[in-house]
Amino acid sequence: MHPEKQKHTFEPKIIAFVCTWCTYAGADLAGTSRMQYPPNVRVLKFPCTGRIDPVFILKAFQQGADGVLVSGCHPGDCHYIAGNFHARRRFAVFRKLLEFVGVDLNRLQFSWVSAAEGGKWVEVVTDLTEKVRAMGPMTEFRELALEEQWSGAINTPELEEAYNQI
Amino acid sequence: MTKSIDTSIYAAVSEAIRAEAQRILSDGTVTAIVGYAAARRKGSAQPIVISSADDAAKLIFTPACVNNLAVYLTKAKKEIPKKGKVGIVVKGCDLKALSGLMGESQLKREDLYLIGVPCAGVLASTVQPATELTSDSIAPKCTECDAQLPGGCDFVPPQAPLTPGQTRKYAAEIARLEALTPAERWAYWKEQFSKCIKCYACRQVCPFCFCEQCLCDRNKPQMVDTTPRPAGNTAWHIVRAMHLAGRCAGCAECERVCPMDIPLNLLNRKMAKELKELYDYEAGFEVNDKGPLNSYTEKDDQSFIK
Amino acid sequence: MQKFISEQNLHTLLDKLIAEGTRVVAPRMNAGTPLYEPLKSASEMVADQLPRRSGKEAFFPLCEDIMTYEKEGQKVTLKDIDPARFPETVLVGVRPCDAAAIPVLDAVFSWDYKDEFFLERRKKTTIVGLACTSADDACFCTAVGLSPSETRGSDLFLTPLEDGGYACESYSEKGEALIKGHLELFAEPGNSRAVSLAQPQTEKFDLKKVKAWLDEHFEDSSWDSIATRCVGCGACAFVCPVCHCFDIVDEGTEKSGKRRKNWDACGFWKFTHHASGHNPRDQQPKRYRNRIMHKFKYYEDKFGQTLCTGCGRCIRLCPVGIDIAQIVEEISKK
Repeated sequence: MHPEKQKHTFEPKIIAFVCTWCTYAGADLAGTSRMQYPPNVRVLKFPCTGRIDPVFILKAFQQGADGVLVSGCHPGDCHYIAGNFHARRRFAVFRKLLEFVGVDLNRLQFSWVSAAEGGKWVEVVTDLTEKVRAMGPMTEFRELALEEQWSGAINTPELEEAYNQI
Repeated sequence: MTKSIDTSIYAAVSEAIRAEAQRILSDGTVTAIVGYAAARRKGSAQPIVISSADDAAKLIFTPACVNNLAVYLTKAKKEIPKKGKVGIVVKGCDLKALSGLMGESQLKREDLYLIGVPCAGVLASTVQPATELTSDSIAPKCTECDAQLPGGCDFVPPQAPLTPGQTRKYAAEIARLEALTPAERWAYWKEQFSKCIKCYACRQVCPFCFCEQCLCDRNKPQMVDTTPRPAGNTAWHIVRAMHLAGRCAGCAECERVCPMDIPLNLLNRKMAKELKELYDYEAGFEVNDKGPLNSYTEKDDQSFIK
Repeated sequence: MQKFISEQNLHTLLDKLIAEGTRVVAPRMNAGTPLYEPLKSASEMVADQLPRRSGKEAFFPLCEDIMTYEKEGQKVTLKDIDPARFPETVLVGVRPCDAAAIPVLDAVFSWDYKDEFFLERRKKTTIVGLACTSADDACFCTAVGLSPSETRGSDLFLTPLEDGGYACESYSEKGEALIKGHLELFAEPGNSRAVSLAQPQTEKFDLKKVKAWLDEHFEDSSWDSIATRCVGCGACAFVCPVCHCFDIVDEGTEKSGKRRKNWDACGFWKFTHHASGHNPRDQQPKRYRNRIMHKFKYYEDKFGQTLCTGCGRCIRLCPVGIDIAQIVEEISKK
């Protein structure tokens, strides 16, 4: 029995960068336990949160993500001992940078989800999806992609088309 | 109110630099010295590399000696002789960059002969080189300077610089931007970044941009668009600020050389401010093996993580 | 055709053109920096500062799309950009050093290959030059044979007058057409004298001698002393009114993307970097040598023109104070 699917006018695209040892396994557990969570999330698996370069987050927003989730092992549980400790510092700083250039931090979530925390995965994904849904689409980066230097601009329908394809 | 800044010591400082350069080049302590020399335009100065004691007389120090010469000792510059010790004229801000480079194993202290400069400030990039140094014409970085007397050098002229207390220009601007809404800040940076022409002057003068191949010069994968359009420009400046976080020594060369007047050092100062608050890290004269972003403690703040 | 136009009528003219849908490009302030950009209203124009970038981008944009591609399954669709869609443009308030650069660029863009993007924009643009009233010690137009009242490249040329307004003279059919289309805004020339124009303080270079030296000294130790300090950015080339190198890049995803033409600069190490990894200009002085050679020898050899109009932008903006005027002067004295 599936609960009835609610219809929304806006389905946000959420990109989740997860580590393979904890959060990916946690998401897997949620699946095998038949827990329901929003299908808006696209999961990308990495060896470790320490491998997740801030430029990936930037790229995700540029390519049309409305929200980004970065998730890995709890502190102390890193498969590579300290990858998540390094990631913690890096992202603490990176989110401050994004905030300073004007990105709303409500669109960016970090979490620790272990292989045993299928329930927490569902909670984190659901919360972020609903939060972003309420905020509406992330338009800043997409609008930027439409802008030309004035001298190259010919008001092309091609650009508009590209925008709509994102 | 415009306050004049006393630069009367610069003549004696120049004299002392010349005498020391003459000495270390003739007795073979160093093979070359990177310093400043006068240029054609009235009051202007330019970097110069000298390897003969006869050229020591060319060296000067004036408010137009704006460059951070540390860039000439990095991997990015292969033209400077690397045989033996190299002498270099450094202001306090430049020395912080050199310390950072030593911490990152790019340079060895024993290969350098440091000629420190007591500095009361240099000119902003927005004024003509012959302008008198005042609280208006001074480079914004100098209003926040805590390193007028470089420490740990091999030679520092004895003069002491005097600078009146000044409004901290970056702190004020960062506070102004922080008080805005995200949308307003986005609009501000969008306008600034849209001027960028990707001349990469910011990267080329940065002592810390010593990568043999920049991430942004690679195209497999192409992480950042190379095209000078608003989208790629924004990504480029965010990536650069992130790569410098915890490394930038605050010499503000990126901002000085930007032909489009983009306030790039604001991003670096903001990062420095956050790193100070989060991890009590500040760039200084001491050489640290680890920066704030390649070290950690188990107790680091994680209030932003679910 | 000689006429007079008042400051107010000039603004009326520009506003009228904007209202008609013509793109009016003139110096305006963008986030604190003077740049040639399209105006929304004539009141935005700032005539008293030399724009930071030159006027060349009205014809040769910083970056432009030349083609788009789309891929769906096995089907690939290529679409050309149609230059016929470029807008009619009036470029106003152009400094003589920027206006004189445009005929210099014509030579290379209509040489063995006709660059339809450049030429179409060129055809659709009317250039209104403005005599220059202020120079600093980086300016050296007079040294390369131009002057603050040089009309070369302008279709219409404005000279500010002591009693206000501008003396206005047309130098081409396009310029004449602009006057004739708006005759009511122009008056007959009066007796007011021109304001005193800028006087750059540089002696005229002996360009023949410079070229003669360059012909013989591709290998010379002075290149090292000139450019060892060059840090390898593209600032000089990008602000130059006549530098015209570009790079073709493809940007996009597997599914769709664009082919673009972007400005490039001989100062970059990547400029001559071969796919093999070999780089014939492996050090910065060799790259800077190319800049000087191209400007004062190669272009002269090929088109009989000097690739420099003495605007002084590269001198003002070089991060390490490389001074092309000084370098050329020294060469001319060798």
